[in-house]
Amino acid sequence: MKKTLNINIGNSIIHIEEDAFELLTSYLIEVKQHFGKSADDFEIVSDIENRIAEMFTEILQTQQKQVIEVADVQVVIATMGSVRDFEEQSEEEADERPENIHSPFTERRIYRDTDEAMVAGVCSGLSHYLQLDVSVLRIIALFTVLLGGSGLIAYLILWISIPVAATRSEKMAMKGEAVNLQGFKRNFEKELSNLKGNFRNANDHLQPFMKHSKSFIAEFIEVLGRFMQGTGKTIFKIIAILIIIIGSLILLGTIILLAAVIGFWDTGATQVFPFSMIDGSYFTTFILALFIVIAIPLLSLILFSIRVAFNSYKSNKMVAYGLLLIWLCGLAVSIFYVAKTSNQFKEEAEFTQTIPLKSYPLYTLSIDRSKFFSKEDSLHYRLNTADYNGKIIQNDLDGPFTLPRNVSIRIEKSENSVPSLVESYGSQGVTFEVALDHAKNIQYDFLQQDSVLRFSPELHLKRNLNWRAQRIELVLKVPVGTRLRIDRDLQRYLQDNSLWDCDDENNKDGLYHGVMTTDGLTCQSAN
Amino acid sequence: MIAENTQTQMRKGILEYCVLLIISRGEIYASDIIAELKSAKLLVVEGTLYPLLTRLKNNGLLSYNWVESTSGPPRKYYTLTPEGTAMLSQLDGTWQELSFAIAKSKNQTAL
Repeated sequence: MKKTLNINIGNSIIHIEEDAFELLTSYLIEVKQHFGKSADDFEIVSDIENRIAEMFTEILQTQQKQVIEVADVQVVIATMGSVRDFEEQSEEEADERPENIHSPFTERRIYRDTDEAMVAGVCSGLSHYLQLDVSVLRIIALFTVLLGGSGLIAYLILWISIPVAATRSEKMAMKGEAVNLQGFKRNFEKELSNLKGNFRNANDHLQPFMKHSKSFIAEFIEVLGRFMQGTGKTIFKIIAILIIIIGSLILLGTIILLAAVIGFWDTGATQVFPFSMIDGSYFTTFILALFIVIAIPLLSLILFSIRVAFNSYKSNKMVAYGLLLIWLCGLAVSIFYVAKTSNQFKEEAEFTQTIPLKSYPLYTLSIDRSKFFSKEDSLHYRLNTADYNGKIIQNDLDGPFTLPRNVSIRIEKSENSVPSLVESYGSQGVTFEVALDHAKNIQYDFLQQDSVLRFSPELHLKRNLNWRAQRIELVLKVPVGTRLRIDRDLQRYLQDNSLWDCDDENNKDGLYHGVMTTDGLTCQSAN
Repeated sequence: MIAENTQTQMRKGILEYCVLLIISRGEIYASDIIAELKSAKLLVVEGTLYPLLTRLKNNGLLSYNWVESTSGPPRKYYTLTPEGTAMLSQLDGTWQELSFAIAKSKNQTAL
């Protein structure tokens, strides 16, 4: 089977096979080029075309054929004579003709080579044009894609902008073979010999015009499809194996975390931040449901990757539906408890108490990092109450499960010239009463030692309760003119950032030097 | 190469003369001219005739009519113009001289 075309040559309609048409076209182009110099170009060429049409008609009639084949075109060209024969006839013209018309190689033109393509033939096309080895270009392309992906964009741009070499003459121009009759014959014969060994290619050449008219999107999808089956498959397998390894590790980690959280139930996992939100009555259920919600998609992903990596297409539908059902149950339970827990934050309560301070012209504000000990702790560790502030154990505030910031300090000027500390305790709860109860449960340590004000970095709960956004806001009110030395550690608790502008000279001793003015706290230059 | 050049030169002039001779016998179609030239072994490929005919026509030696054909498109039928006939008689004279020159040359070399 071969594709045929209808052509109008010398006002005759001729059926012609596609390869015969290409041969004829290249012949006529050459003839036109030859006679292009004279003003009679059109007339001579149309005379020749008319004669060719006549010969075709004769061939079709005498041989009782429907269609002109390559052999017929070759016969016609032989009778009509090649351009070389024309040149012999007028040798003054022959002298003028440039040599390179008959040299087998001429200027190359850039096309994509889909015959030798890995993806869309950009690299192989470039290799023809630049006369470089295609593997070198492919390695460069792969590198640029992997390093930042700039190669990917370049590849797409080249893909869109460079046309595909669809016809034989385009393929020849791509490889730098002269698009004339000699080159054409050479190319055609080479291809014929290739065809004998490789029948698959035959189909490619039957549809070059389809290829030509294909849009980029359609070609992209087709190439992607081929890529998935070929080169892509290997890449996907590698990705799948990576997913299996990483996914298994994450799953294992999740299981260990689950065991740890439930196992340490008694020893205070509930006091660690994200878990401290969850009420003890449904803690285990909630954690298990959360585990199911996370672990089942992970497990499915691993199972899917195993299927991709090892080409096993058998999937157990029962297992799949079972996993889906369990996951949905887990999701439902999780949502229920998330709603229940968030309900515990519905109402807000706050109460305020004011502590009068002894008056000093200069206060030093510092963070007391010594670990908080309750009276029971002091007895337990046999600590003397006198050593209460002896900085026995340093608090570690930078663990992975730190609470959200719950202490904030503001420094304002005192309206009545009396220094004081206003403490606002606040919390959330399911009702106002519960929230207020939570707020009352807060204990905060503040100590004035003469002119030194010691703030605790965190608040404590008198009874062990769930985390309900318990917080304390401190407002230090000092009269205008009072000087302050502020510990650098305290800075992160400060709401007012006016001290951030203080220059480095200001805090040589690790303290910010500030002074209270009528406009609020300002920097005081160290002098 | 030199021999080829000379041959081409000689053939070129004679081809033109012969074409005029053939057309002088009456209205004729290009394919028939080709057929005659082929049988006279003066023409190898057809393509060379068309530039020649066009040139002769442009020089005012030939003219042509379109004649309907029974099979296929209309054909060009060539005739000689009066200038063509004059040119032909000139060429006749030239040919006489040339053949005399050749005969003379050959005889003298043979002597």
